[in-house]
Amino acid sequence: MGKEWSVVGVRLPMLDAGAKVKGTAQFTDDLVLPGMLHGRILRSPLPHAKILHIDTSKAEKLTGVKGVITGKDIPDRKFGIVPKAKDEYALAKQKVRYVGDAVAAVCAVDPETAEEALELIRVEYEELPAVFDPLEAMKEGAPLVHEDVPNNISISIRKEFGEGEKAFEKCDFVFEDTFYSQAVNHAPLEPHAAVAQFDPLRGEIVIWSSTQIPFFLRRNLATTLLVPESKIRVIKPKVGGGFGGKIDMFAKDFCACWFAMKLGRPVKFVYEREEVFIATRQRHPMYVTVKTGMKKDGTIHAQRFWAYADGGAYNSTAPLMITLSCYFLMVPYRVPNLIYEGHHVYTNKPVGGAMRGHGIPQARFAVERQLDKIAVRMGIDPAELRIKNSIHAGEDHPGGFIINTCGFAESVKKAAEAIGWKEKRGKLPFGRGVGMGGASFPSGVSNMSHLASGAVVQLGQDGAVTVLTGAADIGQGAETVIAQIVAEELGVPLEDIRVTAADTGITPLDPGTFGSGVTVRAGNAAKLAAISLRNKLFEFVAQKLEANSADLVAKGRKIYVKGSPDRGLTLLDAVKAYRYADLPMPIIGRGSWMAPAQEPTTLLKGDGNFAPNYSFMTQAAEVEVDTQTGKVKVVKMVTAHDCGTPINPLLVEGQLEGSIIGGMGQALYENVIVENGQVMNPSFLDYGFPTAMEMPEMEGIQVITDDPLGPFGAKESGEGTQLAPAPAIVNAIYDAIGIDFNELPVTPEHILKALRNKHGKTGSREKA
Amino acid sequence: MKHAVALSVNGDTYDVLISPNETLLDVLREKLGLMGTKKGCDLGACGACTVLVEGEAHLSCLMLAIDAVGREVVTIEGLAQGGELHPLQRAFVEKGALQCGFCTPGMILTAKAALDEEAKPTEASIKKKMAGNLCRCTGYKKIIEAVSSVAALSGKEG
Amino acid sequence: MRLPKFEYVEPKDLKEASSILSKEVGARILAGGTDLLVNMKHRVETPAVIVNLKKIPELSFIRTENGVVRIGALTSLKKIYNHPYIAEKLPGLASAASSVGSYHHQTMGTIGGNLCQQNRCKYFNQSRWWRSSRELCFKAGGELCHVVKKKSICYSSYCGDIAPALLVMNAKAVLESKEGRREVDLESLFTGDGKRPLSFMRGEILTEIRIPKEAHEGFSMYTKFANRESLDFPIVGASLWASPDRKNIRLAFTAVDRKPLRAKKAEQSLRGGFHEESLEEAVRLVLEEVKPVNTSLYSSSYKREVMGFLVKSMITKVMGR
Repeated sequence: MGKEWSVVGVRLPMLDAGAKVKGTAQFTDDLVLPGMLHGRILRSPLPHAKILHIDTSKAEKLTGVKGVITGKDIPDRKFGIVPKAKDEYALAKQKVRYVGDAVAAVCAVDPETAEEALELIRVEYEELPAVFDPLEAMKEGAPLVHEDVPNNISISIRKEFGEGEKAFEKCDFVFEDTFYSQAVNHAPLEPHAAVAQFDPLRGEIVIWSSTQIPFFLRRNLATTLLVPESKIRVIKPKVGGGFGGKIDMFAKDFCACWFAMKLGRPVKFVYEREEVFIATRQRHPMYVTVKTGMKKDGTIHAQRFWAYADGGAYNSTAPLMITLSCYFLMVPYRVPNLIYEGHHVYTNKPVGGAMRGHGIPQARFAVERQLDKIAVRMGIDPAELRIKNSIHAGEDHPGGFIINTCGFAESVKKAAEAIGWKEKRGKLPFGRGVGMGGASFPSGVSNMSHLASGAVVQLGQDGAVTVLTGAADIGQGAETVIAQIVAEELGVPLEDIRVTAADTGITPLDPGTFGSGVTVRAGNAAKLAAISLRNKLFEFVAQKLEANSADLVAKGRKIYVKGSPDRGLTLLDAVKAYRYADLPMPIIGRGSWMAPAQEPTTLLKGDGNFAPNYSFMTQAAEVEVDTQTGKVKVVKMVTAHDCGTPINPLLVEGQLEGSIIGGMGQALYENVIVENGQVMNPSFLDYGFPTAMEMPEMEGIQVITDDPLGPFGAKESGEGTQLAPAPAIVNAIYDAIGIDFNELPVTPEHILKALRNKHGKTGSREKA
Repeated sequence: MKHAVALSVNGDTYDVLISPNETLLDVLREKLGLMGTKKGCDLGACGACTVLVEGEAHLSCLMLAIDAVGREVVTIEGLAQGGELHPLQRAFVEKGALQCGFCTPGMILTAKAALDEEAKPTEASIKKKMAGNLCRCTGYKKIIEAVSSVAALSGKEG
Repeated sequence: MRLPKFEYVEPKDLKEASSILSKEVGARILAGGTDLLVNMKHRVETPAVIVNLKKIPELSFIRTENGVVRIGALTSLKKIYNHPYIAEKLPGLASAASSVGSYHHQTMGTIGGNLCQQNRCKYFNQSRWWRSSRELCFKAGGELCHVVKKKSICYSSYCGDIAPALLVMNAKAVLESKEGRREVDLESLFTGDGKRPLSFMRGEILTEIRIPKEAHEGFSMYTKFANRESLDFPIVGASLWASPDRKNIRLAFTAVDRKPLRAKKAEQSLRGGFHEESLEEAVRLVLEEVKPVNTSLYSSSYKREVMGFLVKSMITKVMGR
């Protein structure tokens, strides 16, 4: 890397790796409090129905049951992570809108009794006509999922950049294709869970929740429980995976707090796996039509998108999702003229929410697939086409993005080389092929209020460093990356750092883990805090050494004058001297960071630069299609990845590798299959995401670009990595058997059908 | 009807009162307070609940606790000896073979059962035996590397 | 999901076990538990009494006597495929055993348990809450089959991997009760009735599988076609046995019907000689005899495609040897 870092840039195990391998890492369900009660949620078996009457009397009488509540018992307060899109109650009021909608909750002395009690609740429903396809749901006369939302279109956006539709007149070729992406479940290994406790004397709630967004959760709880935020403390224990599925408040959070308050005892709610599949969140199924106008030299001149997202019964992050889906079509390729129309449509099905990529994977699949089709139709090599249209750092950007670093073109070249593109594309025997996909992702989205992150770093007299950060580590290693940044600034090894994180009662604000903003946002905040602390120490030491503060260096647990390592003190001696000089201890540094933006704007209103920086990458896949059975084997997957500077290459690799399997699942294996609104495969067995046996050969290549805004040059590496594997695989399938698949997943059955109808037509679209 | 039984877990004897319909997983977690064994799906399809019973990998969510009476059970808590990490645990840490850590105890115990059964397995054999342990974070690569590295070690020591 | 309540018994011998099973209508055998316990959590099976056979000695063994391979019903699948004689001489059985579920299922699961597993259907193998979205199905105690939308019939599929491997070997099953013991063709154990897939008499316990000498003199194979290479039930499982001179071929399938079954018409067509056209004819006859329905997430038409492929590939392979 050329830089002389000791901790940043080093492959280091996660801070809590030891605890995790010993089984002592504490997840929410591992918490046990004295007198703790257990809760379960009763859910609607119908996709759309009025709740006529709920009889909880039998359940209440069951020995061991301490409480039963329904929608009638809770305040008339909706929740939602985006304030203007709040449309959901913790327990349904008046009607249920999907199979799985929460209707009642019980609280009992043990899980078995709680489960039994659910069986004793009688709900009388009046079934209503339901709608299961977004295109049908938008039509006149379709049943309304929410009465006040005409045509079931809860959010629409239309953005135009450049000349709009007119630009197509200047194109030499215009192509239009429609694509479909399926519903995908996050399927984190740890089910959703919460434990709440109430102190009646101070009127304070403490809730431990498996969440990605402690601070937003606190806000939603305050709103729905009618308790001030100052009286709610959200603590995030270890989280066993989230991938976006643990963004949002859930019935378990609300009900755990509710019962804790009413009963004065701690209450635990843990979801069954089936509930995670049906009643949490999923990636929105989306229809995306792309019209692309090309110049004959192979440059993209104009693009127009029509996107219809199947939102399910509630909004969740809808406005954010549909907007991200739009804006991030402007990277990694230069699109001088863009029109995007996106609609988020209600249906009586499981709720769509943020999932790794958050609206961008579906759009990316469409773009990358179409690019390949265009390449074939125009007789240009797909890799060349991508390089030709790549944006570059420092260029003027049609959408107003500020791209300080961009390794995209380089990533295409490197990925192509690593997969053997020249030797293989179009040249392998029938049934084998290579394909690629490009991607780019923002490191956290800047243009919204309230996306700042804070950190406090303290240096005690023992020389140990404590970091307080609001960042929510959900297994990606956020705490470790932050600790590495602080360690580097203070010149100490990683083992000297203790991190306390994601506790709204103690740690500074952080929006949470979504949009891949943590490394840049929380990392920068921690960096500033460490520097602030270091400055205080340096000022003092400079005096002692009769040197200039600006000439001092902190490294190897020492502080010394640059170039003269003997002219210095050990860190411990410096701290001791600081203390003896009667200066306040511990030495504290504070920092807070928000991505630069001209003025606070909201994503939906303003234009401009949406992220402090953008990651870029290309993924290339080699596949083998068994033409007798339709099975696809992903032989190898290569990622050439520009995340600026990897703070911890070991962790970045982990993200790449996990994303490849995730993308492979999305391309070939996964589908939340719904029949009449009911999920048919709500189990690990039937949902079938890849096992170790399906793992391809994986290679990761770093493209270092050293971003000026990211801490130590870093950019995101958590979500962008899962955008391109699916199109890369489907593009490779085209190379292998000459068939274009425009819908995900590409199952063996689809392949066999298509092989039989080989003259270009794909199988009929399976509606939800 | 509850039965008073003695369960042998990690070399310790626990006297517990259990109903026949309690799974070993629930008894380990709820009655013995051993939280290292995880509940990922409760239906035997993810391996997060793996424990060793007489040295072999079992899905504790599909075992009756009462069926474990008289059989040596080892959970993740029983692996490290006197504060020293087991080589598999060390390898997982060093290779970065974990992210969220939820599947990790199950992965490590299955690996142990696999290596105890076959000291020098091929990579294919490792994959096949580990495949019943699902992971959503890592993509499996570093996990297989970690297990392979320990398998390679044992050869040298043998 | 918690298990329903039940009475638990650990009989010390077969006689005791058989007595309990005779007396208690709602009694079920606990072997490995990997099938029964899942169904109990789903409340599609709620036995009043569970009889744990694992404490009875001598139900787990692998022996050869006069060329007959005898396997105790409670022998784990792992022991079976790790057994050198079986791995070498009965590769079809070893293959089937090592394809069941995952390593854990092979460790806990037994040959008897796998053979006697409950039939499966996408409307049946779901939690009680899930199933409350529709009328109780016929197999679960209601009236209607949701697959064919007819009353009083059940189309659930038999999905065990071991059965077809043993059926092509003409394996026998030993059933014991307190009344005595009988040996039957394994094939006769399977009723073809989705609601009641096994034909045990009251109090009978499967104790042993016997594989005739002929089986290990020939060649056997089992191919499992599934979504993933671990954990999954077969989409189609196909087994083949060939006599040393290749003139006698047997074929059996699982996951395509209400019981595992031999494709006897196809076998007939392959007898005596083999040429290219025989393959197509064999496939045609198999598909005539075996008619999968849409009980799983995989369509019956896809299962038919896969069956055709498996038949061709297995026969081609064995003929090439």
